[in-house]
Amino acid sequence: MSLIEWFTEPFALGFQQRALLAAVLAGLMCSIVGTWLVLRGMSFFGDAFTHGVVPGIAAAVAFEFSPLLGAAIAAAVMVLLIEVVHRTTSLSQDTAIGLLFVGMLALGVVIISRVDSYTGSLTSILFGDALGVTREGLARQAVLGAFVVAASLVLYRPLLTLSFNESKAELLGMHPRMAHTALLVLIATAVIGSFQAVGTLLVFGLLVGPAATAALVARTVPRMMAWAAVLAVCSVWLGLVLSYHLGTAASATMAIIPVILFFLVLPISTSVNSRRQLREGAGEVVGAAVTAVEPG
Amino acid sequence: MTEVARPAAAGGGSGIDHSGLLVAARDLEVRHGSFVAIGSSSFDVPRVGVVSVIGPNGSGKSTLLSALAGLLPIASGQLRVLGEEPHHARRRMSYVMQSTPVPRVTPITVREVVGLGRFAQLGMFGRFRAGDRRAVSEALARMEISQLAHRHMHELSGGQRQRVLIAQGIVQEHDLLVLDEPLTGLDITSAATIDALIHEQRADGNSVILTTHDLDEARAADWVVLVSGRVLASGSPELVCTRRNLEEAYGLGGTHEWEGFLDDPAHDGHDHRH
Repeated sequence: MSLIEWFTEPFALGFQQRALLAAVLAGLMCSIVGTWLVLRGMSFFGDAFTHGVVPGIAAAVAFEFSPLLGAAIAAAVMVLLIEVVHRTTSLSQDTAIGLLFVGMLALGVVIISRVDSYTGSLTSILFGDALGVTREGLARQAVLGAFVVAASLVLYRPLLTLSFNESKAELLGMHPRMAHTALLVLIATAVIGSFQAVGTLLVFGLLVGPAATAALVARTVPRMMAWAAVLAVCSVWLGLVLSYHLGTAASATMAIIPVILFFLVLPISTSVNSRRQLREGAGEVVGAAVTAVEPG
Repeated sequence: MTEVARPAAAGGGSGIDHSGLLVAARDLEVRHGSFVAIGSSSFDVPRVGVVSVIGPNGSGKSTLLSALAGLLPIASGQLRVLGEEPHHARRRMSYVMQSTPVPRVTPITVREVVGLGRFAQLGMFGRFRAGDRRAVSEALARMEISQLAHRHMHELSGGQRQRVLIAQGIVQEHDLLVLDEPLTGLDITSAATIDALIHEQRADGNSVILTTHDLDEARAADWVVLVSGRVLASGSPELVCTRRNLEEAYGLGGTHEWEGFLDDPAHDGHDHRH
């Protein structure tokens, strides 16, 4: 088998091509939204979110309605409850997210355990079914993907200033609260649009992995986004190829690649950055992270 | 209350004449939650070049500036900046906060940071044109940080960071520049650059409101606002910076020499620039 065949053989059949397309779409929308997620330091929220949609999808499977609708309702409930806990108690948002994380996941498993094909349904929710993606599923995913990418670009200035400093964003009239809410909606949309291909458990890998790796190498946000998108597309493609040849689970193989990439890039970026600092910062004070003075 | 140089026209409650005033406050109260940061205060600041806000640490200087910029809602009373509600006056005001923590993870260069200042005029979609790029380059040159344009914030020293944030402030179109402790704890080069800028703003017909711990600097201003839990006095430096007022604000005994720097831990006394 030639090298080219080794790469093309896994995509010879229609369902395999659909799997690749679905994974690429998932990779694109997750990496673009994931860039803002990583910049806002909301990874734990993103993680919880990907599990928080499980009861919605489980209910959809059990009562036979649209899984997309189920996921959307679950996402909305989760965000609302996190806000309620955060605003009415002195507990940190972190704790609120944790509570909802485990609560929603457990509720999902409880609901799905009432369904006859318990294991099969749960597996396909958590780990996706890339090879079972239909044309209609693809079309839906493309629409959601286009929305997510377009909104991330339209909201570029509010999201950038919010990632810079929330008070400054407010002063510049960049509506930070609106931008934050919009980001939650975008994360939810990316998760909902991607879970059928990669599963709720592993969609998080595409949200955080490529963006985190891109953060190591990019000096500006647009470049970080571009790098994240390229890394995500390469990861899902390589993941599918490897899973075909090695006979491993498709979505897990796709999710593990960005994480491996991160740890491959990390030592390189660290050495490049320290050399840059030596070159540029010779004789100057470097690394004053935050100049905080007691407010007068 | 040592109310100084308060215009007679200021009385009469709701019918305030705001014309020509930089700031007008009536029974202004600002809170952080249930804590009253600025107790009921009434004062005016005319449209002068440089206004110094002085007072001990924790006296409410930054709170007052946040309220002026519309970042903090006022609990009660009235506050007008440039004759408008603070929220509306924002279009004509640029506010450089005391500290602007920028997450290390955010990959944004100095040039981009300064460019954010243009968003106030451009909004979400206005095109970033050649004129905007020129304004950014000029602000970088003015603050002597052109050579840092491609650096990241976390790669800069404290003084350089402060110059970047002030460049971001001046690139925003404004009649009023509000600077919270622009000179505190800076290296001599950065302080001199910022000090020169403040005087330049005055020469250009803009107004600058700044907080300071430097009594000499306060005396050099056109107007001084003395804050200690509330606005104790507002007027010309000669009228406000009296021994009696300062003792009331800082709560120190009569033996203290009222010269040089006030209770600012960031200064060690070897950092005089004037």
